[in-house]
Amino acid sequence: MISFLLKGILRDRSRSVLPIVVIAIGVFLTVLLSTWMKGIFSDAIDMNANFTTGHVKVMTKAYAENAAQRPNDLALIGVEELISTLEADYPDMEWVQRINFGGLIDVPDANGETKAQGPAFGQAVDLLSPNTKEPERMNMEKSLQQGRIPNAPGEALLSEDFAKKLHVNLNDEVLLFGSTMDGGMAFKNFKVVGTLSFGSTVLDRGAIIVDLADAQQALDMEDAAAEVLGYFGDNVYHDKKALEMTAAFNAKHADPEDEYAPTMQRLKEQGLLMSMIDMSENMRSILVSVFILMMSIVLWNTGLLGGLRRYAEFGLRLALGEEKKHIYKTMIYEAILIGIIGSIVGTALGISVAFYLQENGIDFSSLMKSSSMMMPQVYRSIVTPDAFVIGFIPGVFSMVLGTALSGIGIYKRQTAQLFKELEV
Amino acid sequence: MNHASIISIQHMTKRFPVGKGEFTALNDINLEFGEGEFAGLVGPSGSGKTTLLNIIGSLDTPSEGTATVMGQDISTLSHKASALLRNQHIGFIFQSYNLLPVYTVFENVEFALLLQNRSASERKKAVLDALEWVGLTDKMTSKPAMLSGGEGQRVAIARAMVKRPKILLADEPSANLDAQNSHQILKTMKALNRELKTTFIFSTHDEKVMQYLDRIISLEDGKVVSDVEKAAAAL
Repeated sequence: MISFLLKGILRDRSRSVLPIVVIAIGVFLTVLLSTWMKGIFSDAIDMNANFTTGHVKVMTKAYAENAAQRPNDLALIGVEELISTLEADYPDMEWVQRINFGGLIDVPDANGETKAQGPAFGQAVDLLSPNTKEPERMNMEKSLQQGRIPNAPGEALLSEDFAKKLHVNLNDEVLLFGSTMDGGMAFKNFKVVGTLSFGSTVLDRGAIIVDLADAQQALDMEDAAAEVLGYFGDNVYHDKKALEMTAAFNAKHADPEDEYAPTMQRLKEQGLLMSMIDMSENMRSILVSVFILMMSIVLWNTGLLGGLRRYAEFGLRLALGEEKKHIYKTMIYEAILIGIIGSIVGTALGISVAFYLQENGIDFSSLMKSSSMMMPQVYRSIVTPDAFVIGFIPGVFSMVLGTALSGIGIYKRQTAQLFKELEV
Repeated sequence: MNHASIISIQHMTKRFPVGKGEFTALNDINLEFGEGEFAGLVGPSGSGKTTLLNIIGSLDTPSEGTATVMGQDISTLSHKASALLRNQHIGFIFQSYNLLPVYTVFENVEFALLLQNRSASERKKAVLDALEWVGLTDKMTSKPAMLSGGEGQRVAIARAMVKRPKILLADEPSANLDAQNSHQILKTMKALNRELKTTFIFSTHDEKVMQYLDRIISLEDGKVVSDVEKAAAAL
């Protein structure tokens, strides 16, 4: 019977083409939007993790409470010992120190007079240790617009836009004015050896990146760091593991009397990332549900039209002794077959376009000039194994639901009218 | 009557609701049909021919009285049981053939057997036999759109006969055919009636059909006004 139904579907284009087209479009959109959203959220989460949050972050309790102000006077001290403890407790993690600081960049002319000045957002990362992964983690090589990555103390990178704004050229000296950990004035000269564009408006607006040791020296933060970031070995965020880790760490180090006691936060707890990750996780199920609903309504109507066109066929089948229940069942089988065919077509199209967007992306930089969130400017999709099956859920389910609704009419058919109905 | 009875209708009445009242389509019908009969229900439109065929074919039920087909009381059958009765024992031929347009002649005939869950080899043999009865072996891969009216009706006969039903009900089978094709399909049906001992019951007002019938039952306003066997009619 299945092969008989399949022949009917393949030969009767009006029975199959419209539903297959509707399903293919719906599945195509589901796959494409799903992979694209996953790509956007993953990029945004990765960018945040790599630049600011880590997969977990250790700060003092006081710093954590005022994290938005970057209060280096509340930074962690005795960081080397803390990192040794963390490495012993969590050997699969990588731990790095970071210092974020604000300041003023002064650009002198040939006579040492101020040529230009601008407020800067500084980030100190480990650039010079032999095995440091920080330049790679922050994608510096690819983000370089001019020059090179610092390889000696006293060297710095500026964001490309910032350098242009201040008319800074490669190998120019700039002076950083800031405040030390104790609240004193801090001054340090840096040689600009490269410019960067990270593709994030927040980072590219006025960034200076220096080596951690230089910042510790300039800001009077020997053996201190604002934050210690932890990254999982596979560089993928695992919320469950992070939750267990933070719970264990905070239980071990909790001290209500000590506001400088270290506290650990997972990526999800920081900034807007909780809602972003939750949205990322929920978006696909919302998307699938919306497409199921929309396509079911369309396919319900398609099924009603198809049912009208096949009125004589169903009447004949009833007359030949087929039960209404069996006819209804065969309609559902047909719907499953059509749903699978449409889903295969839609998935193939969706994956093809998703692969293209994974490689090329779409540049939204012009729309994000004033964005205050750390978001990538080029939005890419990401094709994961589940993208190959996610479209089948709305594809098959909507076709079956649409057919199930429209097929109910079979049960209202009066066999006593069959001779009259089949006369025409 | 020389035939063993396979259809027995006793004091059967069929009424339909019309507005607040009722319309009596069949009124106190008493009929017996035996195995291998070649009978026809004749009469003007509205006389109750199709209603009677509906009840014999277990597509409808009587309002009063009994209709027993193949030993089963139509009034008491469930939907499932009446579908099974049609599936196993009753074939239908319609005025407009009602072939499934996307399937070949072979597949149209095979469909009736698919509903009986017969094996592929059984189906193939039975379909080839049926197509041979109606002389359409050479058209088995054709689609219905490629057939003439007469050929289409012969496929419908093959489809109705392929499961070798005990009873075949035909509603105005020659209405859409010219005289030559009408005679051809009636000869085919007559031959099958003799060979397979299938009981044929026609609903018709076509003179061409009537001349082939062995028994003519005339209906008027839902009542049997005459029931004449051909041999008697000839007298």
